[in-house]
Amino acid sequence: MTIELSRRGFCIGTALIGLQTMSSGAFARSEDGTVKLGLVAPMSGPNARYGAFSLRGAEMAAKEINAGGGVGGRKISVMPGDSQGTPVEGVSATRRLIDQSQVDYIIGDVSSSVTLAMQPVAEDAGVLLLNAASSNPKITYKAGVGGFKWTYRNYPTDENRALIVLQYAAEKKGFTKYAVLSVDTDYGRAAIEFTKKYLPRFKSQILTEDYYKEGEVDFRSVLAKIRDSGAQAIIMYGNADSTPIVGRQMIEVGIAGKIPLIGNAEFNTASSIKAAPKALEGAIEAAAWLPAYDSPKSKAFVEKFIAEYGEAPNNHAYVHWETVHLLAKAIEQAQSIDREKVRAALSTIHYESAVGEVTFDDHNQARLPMILLEIEHGKPAIKGAYSAEIDYPK
Amino acid sequence: MFYTVIEQVVNGIVSGSVYAIVAVGMTMIFGVLRAINFAHGEYYMLGTFGAWFAIDYFDLPYPVAIVIGVVATAMIAVVVGNFVMQRIVGAPAEAGVLATLGVALILQNTVILVFGGSYKFFSGGYIEPVSIFGFTLAEQRILIIIVGLIVFVGLELMVTYSRMGKAMRAVSQNIECCAVVGIDVSHIALWTFILGAGLAGLSGVLTAPVNVSVYGGMGELITFKTLPIIIMGGLGNVRGTFVAAMILGIAESLVATYVGLQFRDTVGFATLMLVLMWRPHGLFSAQARF
Repeated sequence: MTIELSRRGFCIGTALIGLQTMSSGAFARSEDGTVKLGLVAPMSGPNARYGAFSLRGAEMAAKEINAGGGVGGRKISVMPGDSQGTPVEGVSATRRLIDQSQVDYIIGDVSSSVTLAMQPVAEDAGVLLLNAASSNPKITYKAGVGGFKWTYRNYPTDENRALIVLQYAAEKKGFTKYAVLSVDTDYGRAAIEFTKKYLPRFKSQILTEDYYKEGEVDFRSVLAKIRDSGAQAIIMYGNADSTPIVGRQMIEVGIAGKIPLIGNAEFNTASSIKAAPKALEGAIEAAAWLPAYDSPKSKAFVEKFIAEYGEAPNNHAYVHWETVHLLAKAIEQAQSIDREKVRAALSTIHYESAVGEVTFDDHNQARLPMILLEIEHGKPAIKGAYSAEIDYPK
Repeated sequence: MFYTVIEQVVNGIVSGSVYAIVAVGMTMIFGVLRAINFAHGEYYMLGTFGAWFAIDYFDLPYPVAIVIGVVATAMIAVVVGNFVMQRIVGAPAEAGVLATLGVALILQNTVILVFGGSYKFFSGGYIEPVSIFGFTLAEQRILIIIVGLIVFVGLELMVTYSRMGKAMRAVSQNIECCAVVGIDVSHIALWTFILGAGLAGLSGVLTAPVNVSVYGGMGELITFKTLPIIIMGGLGNVRGTFVAAMILGIAESLVATYVGLQFRDTVGFATLMLVLMWRPHGLFSAQARF
């Protein structure tokens, strides 16, 4: 007897196969017992260097874990996917990792716009997306109770940064009056928006507010205005190239050493300090991590990375290395590679990172300390790691 | 309050001096060649790079670096002048626009290819602040104002008394008549161009210590700041350009203080639009020269 395949039968059959695939979604898909971990990062294109650092950090962590017997006896294998730093390629790389490589967990991407595009893809597939390096606050506004339950982020946001800088300035320095001088881009303006959101918490106010165009070279007028306004510090979120110019003109208008710069614009690099040592004295900057950070775990990581790859790690290498270890700890606590159980473990985890304890809030955002630097006697001094609680928009 | 206004006017004069030195070269080139030199900011950039190169690679003192920067710019101007600028004398206006835009792209990208696109740090110059009448200024800025004045007085004297200066004025008035009386028009065009480019280079070297960052794309902003000034001053008018540069510098300074830094760049283009609407021949001439 021959089986006749009708069109209707074919459709129903295909649908059933589809349903079956979907219903098996929540369990681990790996058959040989290894932990399959996808890593989406810009492996080519202008940000390829960030991707290379990310991959090296993640691979080094996997090697360490596998050498110690793996997680619960299972080996971790890192499978890279190239986002080229663009959302379109990032989404295809994510799809390939999920559909063809059958990964259970994805770490990615560096760029915020790519991560934002990857979120719905991971959500549909029920694959855990653990971000380690994107700073746009929107990613976790939309995660956890905000919507995407499979997205987690183990990296401080621009909002964290603005809040922590403000908190340090208010609590340790006693500042309440600020002047704003930020770059006129999404980054510079958003950072000030977040700063404003937390001003009432520290009973502080902004006295003057100015944004400069990229490439601006004359800050004298605005710095003179700031000098006469009575501000105690200048909040600046800007580009590295403007910092030396602003510093030198601060010396000219006579506010160097009196009104410090706070925020983020490479205040701590040797070239900025050399350009205007007097103006950058007392500048305050927050960083997610830096190789000079003094904790035994951090030092050991830097040493091992240099021994392994012959160059010093950057921030991206560190965060990916740490995030793979964090995921391994979650799998260990779940005592399973069942994704649902690992996700639950991640929500309640207390993980000891190189900069301090990591826990996740109800938006799946890690409560992460940031490292505060203050320029003292012409050198960046690490003032410790600080964390702060985010107010989510209701 | 009054003190602040005075201080901002002084700030405006300082930035006005920089604009003036760049713009006067551009306006003279226009007078003789009848072409807006869109590559003008690039000579400013070349001057800065020349001086930066001298300081960073050979450890030369800043005064020597000034000379090297200006000479290097002038030498490149000789090449560009011979191959490009001389040929656009008497050519249609589009030829001048295309040729100078092309030169701008080539110069900018050559510098980026050779030195890389990243920001470089200019370490020379006199950046210590000094106090005059209660205002603090970097010594370098006083140097800029003084050099600016010298340049303008020198140019006035040159175009009034020297043979070359008189020839330049003649070419800017009537090319055919010049040819008839035996003035070598293309020779004058070349020298005007070299002088203009050299002045832009000088301005670049002088401002580098206060602007600190040196990079391949820095000339573009200068070209677009200069454009409104030369139109306001009346194209080809040296004295008008000086006054227009000061007006723009002071207006920008006051807007940055009382309105907001983000509106600073709008000043130039807003004035440009007003001038084009009501006095298209510039603020200082009774009628259009071209």
